[in-house]
Amino acid sequence: MEILKNITTTIENDYVKAARASGQKIIGYVCLSTPREVFDAAGIFPYRIKALGRGDTSMADAYLSRFNCGFCRACLQLGLEGSYNFLDGIIETNGCDHLRGMFENWQHAVPRPFFHYIRVPHLIDQDSLQWFKEEIELLISALNQHFASGIDDQKLQGAIEMQDRVSLLMKQIYESRWEGEIKLYGHEIMALIVAEGSMPAADYLQLLDSFNEEIKNRKALDVRARIFMGGAATDEISLVNELEKLGGLMVADSFCFGGRVFLREAAAAEPVKRLAETYLNNLLCPRMFMSYSNRKDYIFNLINRSKADGAVLFHNKFCDLHGIENVKLKMDLEKEGLPVMLLEKEYGAGADIGRIKTRVQAFLEQLKR
Amino acid sequence: MDKSAVLQRKDSTGLFSRVHALFSILEKLPQQISEEELEGLFKVLPADSANSMRSLLKPAIQQASMPFLQMLSAALNDTATAKEQGKKVVLAPFNFPPEIIHAFDNLAPITTEVLTTLGVVSLEGQGERYWEYAMGLGLPDHLCSANTIDLGSMLSGIDFEPDAIISGCVGSCDVNSKTHEFVSLLLALPQIALEKPPDNTERGFKFFKNNYLKMIRQLEELAGEGLKLENLRAVAEKVNRCTELYHDLWELKKQVPCPVPGIFSLFVCATRFSMWGRDEGIKTLEACMEVSRQNLESADYGSREERARVLWIYLSYYYDLVKFYDWMEERRISNMGDALQWAFPEPLDLTSRETILDGMIRSAWNNVMTRQMGAASMSQRWIEDIVYIIREWGVNGTIYCGHHSCKQTWSVFSITRNEVLKRTGVPTLGLQGDSWIRSMTPMSVIQEEVEQFVNNVINKSGRRRRPKIKDTV
Repeated sequence: MEILKNITTTIENDYVKAARASGQKIIGYVCLSTPREVFDAAGIFPYRIKALGRGDTSMADAYLSRFNCGFCRACLQLGLEGSYNFLDGIIETNGCDHLRGMFENWQHAVPRPFFHYIRVPHLIDQDSLQWFKEEIELLISALNQHFASGIDDQKLQGAIEMQDRVSLLMKQIYESRWEGEIKLYGHEIMALIVAEGSMPAADYLQLLDSFNEEIKNRKALDVRARIFMGGAATDEISLVNELEKLGGLMVADSFCFGGRVFLREAAAAEPVKRLAETYLNNLLCPRMFMSYSNRKDYIFNLINRSKADGAVLFHNKFCDLHGIENVKLKMDLEKEGLPVMLLEKEYGAGADIGRIKTRVQAFLEQLKR
Repeated sequence: MDKSAVLQRKDSTGLFSRVHALFSILEKLPQQISEEELEGLFKVLPADSANSMRSLLKPAIQQASMPFLQMLSAALNDTATAKEQGKKVVLAPFNFPPEIIHAFDNLAPITTEVLTTLGVVSLEGQGERYWEYAMGLGLPDHLCSANTIDLGSMLSGIDFEPDAIISGCVGSCDVNSKTHEFVSLLLALPQIALEKPPDNTERGFKFFKNNYLKMIRQLEELAGEGLKLENLRAVAEKVNRCTELYHDLWELKKQVPCPVPGIFSLFVCATRFSMWGRDEGIKTLEACMEVSRQNLESADYGSREERARVLWIYLSYYYDLVKFYDWMEERRISNMGDALQWAFPEPLDLTSRETILDGMIRSAWNNVMTRQMGAASMSQRWIEDIVYIIREWGVNGTIYCGHHSCKQTWSVFSITRNEVLKRTGVPTLGLQGDSWIRSMTPMSVIQEEVEQFVNNVINKSGRRRRPKIKDTV
């Protein structure tokens, strides 16, 4: 789809240009813990900062260091180059040590007019939920003050319902790979998810509808092996594409630019509390503590339902959170008889693709596929 | 005490077992050892151990190093004999103040990074085999050696296992908290997570305090006893004495030349991390004060040359004490210590259980790394502390050791270096290396870079000017 191509290869895509032309404010965020409904309710375009696999970090390395994650360095690079000058503001989250550093350097070097820090707890319990609820209230208050947004419960409720619809449809498309013939690639799913953070919610819903219609008329794909992929914070659609060309189709994933975007389970009715539950309870990221079993169960469930033949767990060089968690996951998955490959990589390193492909090819051989 | 029966060792090749065995010998050394006797001792010790002892036991600081070694020995014995005494061992990272554990009858604290450092300092082959074991599990090579060496030994199944782990770095260091979580999951040990939100306001402190009080309830459950006021007060009184001595040493560091030996920063932080609030900790700090005071009062003090006053703004290097601390001393570079001693302790108000706990919680909130890297802005709080200390101690050069695992400090080092220079005019040297693994960057390279920094940047008079090249065409 042409629209999808534009969105997943261009930072300042057509929707961003249209928003700027109409005077709509645009706020950048990175982490999945950011409740985008708050911005939707404010009439602000929430844009998920990404690097789309670009590996150049020459300027960013003067701020962050070579010991920091390549994804964060690549995002900062784009910020320093001016690719994100369309942002009216930035939301910092304490996703990980690298991300915190990225935001500090960004605001230090090329400050945006609005900057707000959402302090996301690392535990899931009642106190943390209360804290996070207050954080969302502080965000609302900051937006109302700076942009005169007029966010209220009714608007929030509308935004939540919109995201519920988006998630439902996305879930349907995502899980369509699990029963019967497979008609779409994993990298296409990733592209769809990357698009989610690059366009307004209503437009995205239309895009999903069109996509859903389109895939119905497709022919079934020839699949050599069904692969679960997980780990790294990455939006490298081209990497997944390259690996799928080898015959291993990504049938499920746990990337933060992946299926986790659409986890919505929450019980509360009151909008802000509901958002707190949605974004904290479903934050299945290794930055969360005392909840490894939640993440493991989620991944086991995905693997079982998607009938994956094996798992490839990535981590960007210097990412401790995924680097350590992947080892534990490998142990647990192998205990259940699933072949697992750990793959450390640099973000956006095209030069490294040969090594990665060789390893994945060998892994597919190991799966006897 | 019968040492043979104390520790339920699975093997004698684990880091803890080996360190404990060595310290069981060292604690028997007399308070004063002549140089001749020392030479004899170095001949019987393995080369790596002898190298460290050469630095630790040198006559100029022996008066402080003997209580220091005995303090560490006492900490190790507490762990080794815990099970026999019906106590539970709680493993915690360095930024978790141990005094609250000392206040329990049935708990004994042990600190991951202290064990690693002891292993690196005192064992033949340093911590390499344990690091390699952890790497063999598939763990990435960018982990922190300060945690991974000791935890690698535990994971190998040949060493002691604690009864619970406190993850005290949640919010201030990913790699530390994640490594501890990994070990607790693999060894099926209870984990207690103490989270600090990146919020410097009272709201942030209230959240932290609540987390800390929840942790106490978990510790009470683990210990099978309530936290007793009389224990708490007894420990708090000793904490206050440690705090007093800490500030006395701080004051002495303002003197020019600095009378406090650089290696005492290691003594202070080891005390803070393990025996703060214990008699052994007080003895170590008192001895450090005594030696420093004697230095100040010595006849040649005024004529001593001080080429530079260098502050290590995060970590130092701990794998070669001779070539690090002693070398700087010989080169007349005053080593003002590193950030591990920036505990900023305040006296505890002993009025009630609530006031004592409030003080201990503030102390944990302000402890090293938690305070800087757990702040709302990592760079701002770190910069403020560095600038404050530069002014307090008259520092004229700072060095960032660039331990490759410190992703949080690395991520804001550029801002920090520039801002410190802007605010104080003091330059910063950025190095790269691993503070606990000698094969990463040889000490000779570090020495060369420090020497050049002192000669060419701090002491500008020594700077060679590039000769003008005349046009020859």
